[in-house]
Amino acid sequence: MSSLFRASFLVAVTSALALAGCDREEHHSRAKPIGETVPAGESPDTIFPGTSSAPPLDPRAVLYDNNANAIAQGQQLYLQMNCVGCHSHGGGGMGPPLMDDQWRYGGRIDQIATTIAEGRPNGMPSWRGKLTEDQIWDLAAYVRSLSGLPSKDAVSSRAESMSAGTPQSLTPHAEPKNSDAPQQ
Amino acid sequence: MPAGNHAVAPAAAAPADDGNWVMPGKNYAATRFSALNQITPANVSKLALAFTFSTATTKGFEAPPLVVNGTMYVITPFPNYLYALDLTKPGAPAKWVFKPKPAAASQGVACCDVVNRGAVYDSGRIFFNTLDGQTFAVDANSGKMAWHAQLGDIQKGETITMAPLVAAGKVLVGNSGGEMGVRGWLAALDEGSGKLAWKAYNTGPDKDVLIGSRFKPFYAMDRGKDLGVSSWPPDAWKIGGATTWGWLAYDPETKLVFYGTSNPGPWNADQRPGDNKWSAGLFARDVSTGEAVWHYQTTPHDLFDYDDVNEIILADIPWGNARRPVLLRPDRNGYFYVIDRRTGQVLSATPYGFINSTRGVDLKSGRLIYVADKEPKAGRVTRDICPASPGAKDWNPAAFSPVTGLVYIPHNNLCMDFSGMEANYISGTPYVGADVKMYAGPGGNRGVLTAWDPVNRRPAWEIKEDLPLWSPALATAGNVVFYGTMDGWFKAVDARNGKLLWQFKAGSGIIGQPISYRGPDGRQYIAVIAGVGGWAGAIVSGQMDPHDPTGALGFANAMKDLPMKTTAGGMLYVFTLPR
Amino acid sequence: MKPRVPAIATLLPLLLGACQYQHYQSDFGRAGVEDNQFLTLFTIFLIVCGVMYLLVIGFLFAAIARSRRLEANTVETGRHHRSDPLMSTTLIGWGALIGVGLAGLAIASFFTDRSMAKAATGEKLSVTLTGNQWWWDIVYNSADASKTLRTANELHLPVGVPTRIILNSNDVIHSFWVPSLAGKEDLIPGRENDITIVPKKKGIYRGQCAEYCGAQHAHMALVVVVDSYPDFLKWWHHQLEPAPMPTTPLAMAGYKYVTGGPCSACHNIAGTAAGGQVAPDLTHLAGRKSLAAGTLPMTEGNLYGWVEDPQSLKPGVKMPTIGMEPDKLHAVVAYLETLK
Repeated sequence: MSSLFRASFLVAVTSALALAGCDREEHHSRAKPIGETVPAGESPDTIFPGTSSAPPLDPRAVLYDNNANAIAQGQQLYLQMNCVGCHSHGGGGMGPPLMDDQWRYGGRIDQIATTIAEGRPNGMPSWRGKLTEDQIWDLAAYVRSLSGLPSKDAVSSRAESMSAGTPQSLTPHAEPKNSDAPQQ
Repeated sequence: MPAGNHAVAPAAAAPADDGNWVMPGKNYAATRFSALNQITPANVSKLALAFTFSTATTKGFEAPPLVVNGTMYVITPFPNYLYALDLTKPGAPAKWVFKPKPAAASQGVACCDVVNRGAVYDSGRIFFNTLDGQTFAVDANSGKMAWHAQLGDIQKGETITMAPLVAAGKVLVGNSGGEMGVRGWLAALDEGSGKLAWKAYNTGPDKDVLIGSRFKPFYAMDRGKDLGVSSWPPDAWKIGGATTWGWLAYDPETKLVFYGTSNPGPWNADQRPGDNKWSAGLFARDVSTGEAVWHYQTTPHDLFDYDDVNEIILADIPWGNARRPVLLRPDRNGYFYVIDRRTGQVLSATPYGFINSTRGVDLKSGRLIYVADKEPKAGRVTRDICPASPGAKDWNPAAFSPVTGLVYIPHNNLCMDFSGMEANYISGTPYVGADVKMYAGPGGNRGVLTAWDPVNRRPAWEIKEDLPLWSPALATAGNVVFYGTMDGWFKAVDARNGKLLWQFKAGSGIIGQPISYRGPDGRQYIAVIAGVGGWAGAIVSGQMDPHDPTGALGFANAMKDLPMKTTAGGMLYVFTLPR
Repeated sequence: MKPRVPAIATLLPLLLGACQYQHYQSDFGRAGVEDNQFLTLFTIFLIVCGVMYLLVIGFLFAAIARSRRLEANTVETGRHHRSDPLMSTTLIGWGALIGVGLAGLAIASFFTDRSMAKAATGEKLSVTLTGNQWWWDIVYNSADASKTLRTANELHLPVGVPTRIILNSNDVIHSFWVPSLAGKEDLIPGRENDITIVPKKKGIYRGQCAEYCGAQHAHMALVVVVDSYPDFLKWWHHQLEPAPMPTTPLAMAGYKYVTGGPCSACHNIAGTAAGGQVAPDLTHLAGRKSLAAGTLPMTEGNLYGWVEDPQSLKPGVKMPTIGMEPDKLHAVVAYLETLK
């Protein structure tokens, strides 16, 4: 290999690697207005008559799921909108825990966004009309990070809350499963 | 009952025992004392199960069963079923069940498990509250609803978990929601019709708080005009907490009802400078009109969630050459208060647990003296604050035995780290602003049963327990004290010296009130319902994740081992001596 | 012949321009006691350093001129000896001058610092300023809790009254800097700083966040209004009043939306159901001089633009673009304009 070829090869490889990190840093500050529909609740065990598979992931998911800015904004909204008051920092309390692998209404980001927008029986409030779609999806991205689901380069590497628990970059990945909560 | 030189219960508020149990506190004096004496330290080791009953719920069970003339009434946590069991038949089959069907969404605004602290029997009816803010009156024989009233609004974050008090033809009901930015109140419904007779708020202008010409607080700090507004930043009193989720007591001689108010909201005290009246204090009100007669603010400008809603035991204690009518209160903030019930004067405030957050009560001014180092400040963590937010003792009431003169206090030994942050108010969501982490206090044991001598102001004996004691106590004339632990041990100890006499492992942790009654066959029975939960047991009843120490407002850290020691349940156990 | 005239011609406008500096955001504003003290010290430093500079330049030119006078082929012999008594006297004098000058500057600096500290005592007013991304949360503290006032982005101060400003931050490090009044003091999360200032002249001044705090650091300005003490108390009293109920149907529709919709989740309007604490207090929004922390002047047009699409005016700000329909926007702005 000539030195020129090597140099330009190195440049190409480095820029490709650098560009690969761009997705996680994309900021969407021009949010979509409230009112755009979020998919109606499909819990993990829903039966879809006539077909055999669940609908595909909402196309908005890719904008938020591993996006560092969305997760960071979601963290701030999680505290400000009092999610922390019911769910603590993922451990639960008045509401069920968000850091384990049990999801009553689904752990896909679009299912979590639906939960936040529509509310759920037994006490989850409905935030449609109070938060924009962008804010709801930011929150959904952060909620997923509580159980270690996004890629580790998109999450915070320092635990922000008082108890200095495990930082998000060390949170073990807990693949969503169904909840065994007794049905009332 | 020999008076001697120890405390006794006043006869009007604590009439002779008829073998029934008609209200959670047993009587208006809240003694939780049964005069039945068949069960004694000599024979309690033979105590055996008579029958059981599954309540079909698995949330925290804080209520006692009621027994009225051969029928037992059980009120469950959400969904607040009311069962009537026929004690005259073998196995106590159910006569009827009343299902109030409260709103399911109310479970989302209940801070500390979806509990219910009890029903009350009076004049042929059972009165109880539901989580979504209703009060029901149900005919005790037929199980048909007589009336119901909607008092609370879950959209504002209000729920009702307390046991009502029925006195002088009024049903007294208070709301919950100090963690939800709710404005606290006590309401009186007409016993016959359920119509609202009066409603007294616990914050706001004097006309809302029903403060008028009769109001004579003992201490200068509680005197002034519209203190329920001026001791808060503008408008903060409207979302300031001071709810009435705990215990009421009643003095039939003076017609005064006594109750304490909850913590002010939010927990982050930087957002509410001022004394925050009338939160974390004790009210005396006229039961017919609701007018306030006196108030003592136990914990002004509360910093640590030291609600003042604990039980209020009426007693007459020797004072000089005479007897003084007082209230005995083991308080959240760690002091055992003896308060003159005519005026609200604090006669003594003695620590019954380890305290480092306050230095004492100045008896001249009545003020609680804070330790500056332990004051939480926004943006930093204050560590090792004792007692922790549930206090030296939370809601679970002590029992008072006029025979021994001792108050049997099942309580906590917990300390905490506290970090304040800005709380945002959105109605229907929590309004707290704090990260908390609790752990065992000095000694390593998280619970204690203290037998407290209120006259000599010191413990007579103590039993250390591994887990916090979240169950109320029962004292009997046979000199046996009953209480339950959070991992399910139902224990009987000698009332005079604390010696363990008998224990039984129930299917779930016990946080409910044990009672004693005379069955249709004339024998003495002991009943308790085991169903772990409440704030301390939320890690089990709420299936929380123990990896987050701040869960359940900090309790998760202190109770990480509980899921291994017990599971959720809701079973009634009734014991008696074998024939 | 070098063209000297054009050089001077270019200098003149600059000199004239320097005469007309504005007072509202300037170290030379002279509107506060601290700023005055700083300027005194600045002047001392300027004079002393200026004199030394001129002396050094003078010596430089002298040295150049002297070297020209010496013969071209003079060779340094390499032997150094005390040959010139004038030179040694001058050097000793020069050393002494430097010593005296530096000591003088140190003493001046010390005394300025002491007098600044002294001016910072006896504060009569206490304000807590909390920095957020990218706005200022202002609370006027009062011994009477019910007189505590919460407002945002516009700080009113009484002239001549020492005011202690307690500085906190909710997120990252910001810095409080109103150059016409005083120097900079950081707002550090987890730590409480404070600065005491004594405004000396009435007027309107502009402050600026002086520590990079994120995307909109440049648009985090603070409007400081210095009034006479009675006017300041009148302003405080008025700010404590809750927002009035609107009277026109359009404003009423706006009131319903603002207090029941997304605005109420973050903003507080006293006397209404809107109780959010995480965004600027709006109770007396229309009476302020600027929007969005000094980014835009308070006009109807700017209010429309800000409410409709804050992200286009201050990209990345925490207030979301909701995208209201025109009818709703008219109603909301009509209501906000009643919040005087």
